[in-house]
Amino acid sequence: MVSEVGDRPDDDVILETKNLSKYFPIRRGFNPFARNQPRYIQAVSDVSMRIPRGKTVAVLGESGCGKTTLARTITLLSPPTSGEVIFDGQNLTKGKVNLKDLYRRMQMVFQDPDSSLDPRFKVKDLVSEPCRRLLNNSREETQAMVMQSLKTVGLSDYAERRPGHLSGGQKQRVAIARAIAIRPEMVLLDEPTSALDASVQAQILNLLIELQKNYNLTYLIITHNISVAEYLSDMLVVMYAGNVIEYGPTGPIIAKPRHPYTVTLISSAPIPNPRKRNLLNIEIKGEVPSAVNPPSGCKFHPRCPYAEKMCKEQIPGLREIAPGHFVSCHFAEKTA
Amino acid sequence: MSSNRNRKLLAISDLSISFESRQGTVLAVQKASLEMGENQFVAVVGESGCGKSTLALAIIGLLGIPPAKIETGKIEYKSVDLLALKESDRRKYRGTEIAMIFQEPLTSLNPVYKIGDQIAEAIIVRERRNEHGEGVGETGIMQRAYSTKSVAAPSKLHLPRFASKGLEPAILDALKRVRIADPEEIIDRYPFELSGGMRQRVMIAMALSQKPALLLADEPTTALDVTTQAQVLKLMKTLMSEVNTSILLITHDLAVASQVADRIIVMYAGDLVEDCDAFELFSEPLHPYTVGLLACIPSGSKNVAKLKPIPGSVLELNKPTIGCKFASRCAHAMNVCREKKPVLAEVKQGHRVACFLYGE
Amino acid sequence: MTSESAKEEDTTRASPTHERLGTILYALRSNKGVLIGASLVTLLIVTGLAVFIAGILHGRITPYNPIQQDVGPALAAPSWAHLMGTDDLGRDVFSRVVAATPNDLAVSFVVIAFSLIVGAFVGTYAAFRGGLVDEALMRMTDIFFAIPALVLAMAIGIALGPGITNMAIALMIIWWPPYARLARGEALKIAHQNYIEAARMSGAGRLRILLEHALPNISVTLLIYASLDVGTVILIYAGLSYLGLAVRPPSPDWGQMVSAYQDYTFSAPWLPLFPGIVIALGVIGFSLLGDGLKDTLGAS
Repeated sequence: MVSEVGDRPDDDVILETKNLSKYFPIRRGFNPFARNQPRYIQAVSDVSMRIPRGKTVAVLGESGCGKTTLARTITLLSPPTSGEVIFDGQNLTKGKVNLKDLYRRMQMVFQDPDSSLDPRFKVKDLVSEPCRRLLNNSREETQAMVMQSLKTVGLSDYAERRPGHLSGGQKQRVAIARAIAIRPEMVLLDEPTSALDASVQAQILNLLIELQKNYNLTYLIITHNISVAEYLSDMLVVMYAGNVIEYGPTGPIIAKPRHPYTVTLISSAPIPNPRKRNLLNIEIKGEVPSAVNPPSGCKFHPRCPYAEKMCKEQIPGLREIAPGHFVSCHFAEKTA
Repeated sequence: MSSNRNRKLLAISDLSISFESRQGTVLAVQKASLEMGENQFVAVVGESGCGKSTLALAIIGLLGIPPAKIETGKIEYKSVDLLALKESDRRKYRGTEIAMIFQEPLTSLNPVYKIGDQIAEAIIVRERRNEHGEGVGETGIMQRAYSTKSVAAPSKLHLPRFASKGLEPAILDALKRVRIADPEEIIDRYPFELSGGMRQRVMIAMALSQKPALLLADEPTTALDVTTQAQVLKLMKTLMSEVNTSILLITHDLAVASQVADRIIVMYAGDLVEDCDAFELFSEPLHPYTVGLLACIPSGSKNVAKLKPIPGSVLELNKPTIGCKFASRCAHAMNVCREKKPVLAEVKQGHRVACFLYGE
Repeated sequence: MTSESAKEEDTTRASPTHERLGTILYALRSNKGVLIGASLVTLLIVTGLAVFIAGILHGRITPYNPIQQDVGPALAAPSWAHLMGTDDLGRDVFSRVVAATPNDLAVSFVVIAFSLIVGAFVGTYAAFRGGLVDEALMRMTDIFFAIPALVLAMAIGIALGPGITNMAIALMIIWWPPYARLARGEALKIAHQNYIEAARMSGAGRLRILLEHALPNISVTLLIYASLDVGTVILIYAGLSYLGLAVRPPSPDWGQMVSAYQDYTFSAPWLPLFPGIVIALGVIGFSLLGDGLKDTLGAS
């Protein structure tokens, strides 16, 4: 029985997902003798979460955990296979959705600034594209919005440039300028700093914090970088093999992770301190499971030091082991 | 010159490398000098474009010349200047004495040969070297190997062809040493069937099967998940003592370097700016760039410790600068910093810095 | 509401248009082949335009009337009066060659333009739609691809009668499939680029994404291919014209002239030679230009 993830019910929730799943069918060709062929890639399974308005939620996980697919499903770029997405009270998965209305309020900054900006467009045209298509402003109004947006990210003089002439950090700033130009309420960011150097990353992180404060934005940040997640987010959603396995306020989870996978994940993050050489004590076996043929029951059980018979048979639901802190594990007490 | 080990494994002096590009001549590495002893783990840390990869490629001799050009300097490996050798002599060191692993193992492993065959190739190279006392090139061996032995009939267990030559135990050994579970299965797989972490371990297995004295690793874990990265780094550190190798790790991640390195060298825009023991770099960083870099690493929540990015950005490398390259971004810049270029000098025992704050 | 002041690098880079022009000029300077190709092509285009405009204005830029007979002695060898000699009917060959220029150029441009447009749209749409639509469009492309040019041209020539327009139509029908294939390949490469997704989230509809984002980014490859292809059309058209399917005498046309004059190969070699050379120059010119374009634009 999967219980719903949530925080205090009176928190203003801007986005909610209920049992969200995304499966990709595999085209295997026609083989009449094939039996029990795996038919789906289970990218996202049964994800339920609530994002409070004005906060930053980080979805943390390694490759193949489904976090990028989750973002694409929420934004309807890749419609969900089952489950619901409710944005500010409106159910996006039922009935016809006016995408333009949606994107006026929800925007995304994509992974890899190199490919998220059309190389043939000038910066000002890239930033103005959402304004032009989603709003009914006059040309002067759009121009003003664009220049304001560029000024906010510190690229006022770059309006006429093309992406090919920009550095990685500058490109990412253009992507951010584009996303916030129309003043959305919620911004999803997919690995916003993964391709960037440390000093540039620091600039972008601080920029994001400032923008959130000034424009009252809600952030959903997809990342595999634990220190970035810790720095930016108020709540953390940890994913493994398509499922949410731990969820709650960031500080307590990083300080005391409860799911065995989260324990390993947090302790794998290199600490910039030679006196705390945590990496050399790591013991983790196995690999991320196949998304096509996942293990039965709890998907982590083949690699879990605490696994017992029950783990192979029953998928653990999310249960609250501390206020607001949810874990999907039968034996989460063992990591306390 | 502060290493306690008496024999210098690697000594680079005054190395300068330039590149021809459409924007002009780029000075990728300028007057680099460093030393490494045996059984040492040294990390070269810097941001993109700082020249660290170029440095590593120059050591192993894989730099494309042209467009690269070695302007000056020596790379002395066990007292032999590799740059002064002919290419045919230099090749004998590559893959045998000095091995290298790269960021993306998929492009380093041959996609059409099974893992077992590729490791066997590495082993054969070493055996031939031991037999004939001469190095054989790192390419082309496959053809020779296949032509000099008869193709073994595939057994029920699908053992690779080299089983007939008795190489299978050595192959399994190499895989076990990099802690790969089920090595018997892996032997028959192709590179694309393995995960990134596994491929990287295979690369390490191949590199170490040569028993090199120096292993260069260029961002070996950047493309890996964080848990896999931890495993691979731990593996490298463990193997270092088992195989008696020194490791030169190229990385942009100071945190990673702090976890595994004995010594850390910081590079900025082609220059070596700081070189000291890892513990000291974190407790007492001297160069303002190092200080700035450390302040950029997020640790803890934004509410606790706000990051302080380094103002400005890196200058383009194709414009020769007068004075210290970091001066325009440095809070402590003095007049002399804009006029003369600081030299990397030892200001404390075992600690070199290139900065006028610490004297000439 | 400014962000933290991070002083950006002061780059004095050239503006994009200057860079484009600079690249082209650099290409022209450095590559002899491109220079020759560009010169030949320019010469042909200018000549063709001049003849065409003169024709509209009922004027004439050629020294003699191309279809007027007996402007000089028949079968006269090239001389200052008749730069390419005269043919069996006393017509000035030079005038005929020059006057025929617009035919080949017009046909090749029209065919290529048509192929580019149709191919680009079909290929890009197929790539972005995927699934059954993609399969259907590609199979249709294959069908057109399978039709042999000459056979179709002859069939049309028989059914509708010969003529430049009819031949152009015949060529247009079978010329576009490679462009569709090429466009589809290029479009597939970019279909999952994040900037296409970003355009979706900017509210752009499918057609707009196609026009504004997809086509411009695949255009370079298509244009390079097209520039190399022009020469081929010229050659094929000249072949059709040689077979008598294009113009009716006495209108001059290069291919037709080669056919008509071939009996004089040994007695009056200048007759088939000059039209043949001009055809060759046309093909070579466009090929060199296309090659140069490929080297400069393709590499960048």
